[in-house]
Amino acid sequence: MATKLSRRDFMRAAAGSAVAVSLAGYLSPYIAEAAEAGELPPVIWLTGGACSGCAISLLNCQDPDIEDLLLKVISLRFQDNVMAAQGELAIKALYDTVEQYSGKFVLVVEGSIQVKENGIYCVIGEREGHEITMLEAVKDIGSQAAAIINVGTCSAYGGLPAADPNPSESRSVADVVKGKPIINVAGCPPHPDWIVGTIAHYLLFKDIPELDSAGRPKMFYGRIIHENCQRRQYFDNGIFAKTFGEMGCMLELGCKGPIAHCDSTTRLWNGGVNWCVQCGGVCIACTEPQFPNWPIYERMAEMPIGPATTATVDQIGFVLGGAALLGIGAHLAGNVATGRIGSSKDHEKEEGDN
Amino acid sequence: MIKKMELRHPLWLRLLHWSNMISIAMLCLTGFYIHAPGSFRLFASMDNARTAHFAFAMVLVFGVVIRIYLAIVKKDWTNIVFHPIEDTKKLPSMIKYYLFLAKDHPYYGKYNPGQKGMYTAVYIMALFQVLTGFILYKPEFFTSWAYFFGGYLVVRILHYIVTWIFLLMVLVHVYLDVAEGIPVLKSIVTGKIPADFHHGYHVDEKGRKIKAEKGVSA
Repeated sequence: MATKLSRRDFMRAAAGSAVAVSLAGYLSPYIAEAAEAGELPPVIWLTGGACSGCAISLLNCQDPDIEDLLLKVISLRFQDNVMAAQGELAIKALYDTVEQYSGKFVLVVEGSIQVKENGIYCVIGEREGHEITMLEAVKDIGSQAAAIINVGTCSAYGGLPAADPNPSESRSVADVVKGKPIINVAGCPPHPDWIVGTIAHYLLFKDIPELDSAGRPKMFYGRIIHENCQRRQYFDNGIFAKTFGEMGCMLELGCKGPIAHCDSTTRLWNGGVNWCVQCGGVCIACTEPQFPNWPIYERMAEMPIGPATTATVDQIGFVLGGAALLGIGAHLAGNVATGRIGSSKDHEKEEGDN
Repeated sequence: MIKKMELRHPLWLRLLHWSNMISIAMLCLTGFYIHAPGSFRLFASMDNARTAHFAFAMVLVFGVVIRIYLAIVKKDWTNIVFHPIEDTKKLPSMIKYYLFLAKDHPYYGKYNPGQKGMYTAVYIMALFQVLTGFILYKPEFFTSWAYFFGGYLVVRILHYIVTWIFLLMVLVHVYLDVAEGIPVLKSIVTGKIPADFHHGYHVDEKGRKIKAEKGVSA
């Protein structure tokens, strides 16, 4: 006998698929249903060392639009950019939610965590007369959350604030909070569908989606940009752009498509209009843990061979090759001069002499 | 006059040497095109170059695996693997010989410590290239491996640096074989070397140098 599938289970399965194929709009009725049943955990959104770009990206979400999202889909209790409450009221609301839903709410973190000087480089508010640093807030609130969703490469891996020389000692959330399920929605910024989809997946299934080795949901980050790039045919045919605006694959201009994991090529941005490479920019692989520690407009990084000196691998190779050839030439001359090569070798004149 | 010959390289070794040589040469050429298609214009398209690169990569994988297997089974590894203590002790006499400070060198076995070091390094490098190559070949599958090395860009640079080391090693390898004499060069094709070929002197119990009777088997 087949397993009985209830309507609700079926709807959940369908909703899960809908998340993966970017039909988040179809989700809102089911999530709204879940919300009415009172089983939707609240979401707290903290912003640390960030540019608010990820929040702006979320505001661009179209399906469902941000109004539906905030009013019907997720119960967002704290978000610096869009909330009406300010000052002590806002902080009070934040900690009230944490207290009330301890162990149940979802913490969304945007931006990296500054740990130098006990986190004084990033203060997010004030409570009872003392500053709350991002470090303190994430440690405190993160340890009480059911799960942490890192929105953006900064909170996921450190990102731009953690790039060399990292004066504020910025860290990712995973470096600060241990022992909590963490989902990394990487990107600079992440696509709104990735954010909404991941949050919706968690709210619906009460479980984190399947993650890859860098902690990113596989449904959005399972493929490589290069595979489905609109300029892929140029790459296969060996047509490479020398300058921006030219036709051809932009590999020589520093495109990091072959190493970037995400589905921008097929999902497209701004409501399915365009994306980075299609509009003539190189992929900077903003979803990768190592971003942005590489030359954005060059194919390969130069090697630091000495203090304040760099060279390409090719230059080093040519110098070593030249040195090897010189050495070989000198050795050849020595061989001829000592008679190791030539007629004397065959007669072995030196045999027994030494 | 027919020279008395003795076997230096068995057939399996020669076959694997040349199959690996061809695949490494093709991998270097296609690899340089894939690295710099704008300046290293050897292939018609990236598609051709990549297909050839992957095909020869598979040939090399099997070549290396079979070579290592046979090296173990046929006890050939004793000729190749560099012994950190024994072979390091032998290095000074070899360096003296190569720098013309000594006219002859002691008998080292089939290969001298320099060759042993180089051949051991070649196997390690080949295995490293296979590993990094597969990481770059299937980036959506070997993600965790790539992050172990510090990301795909690092893997790509390492893969490219080792390619350069291969090239430089081949340069030295071919020259030193030529310098040892044409019979050495011939032996990797025919497998045979003249029985009276001088492989270095032996030392008897009293410390006197005597000429090696036989090259390989002694």
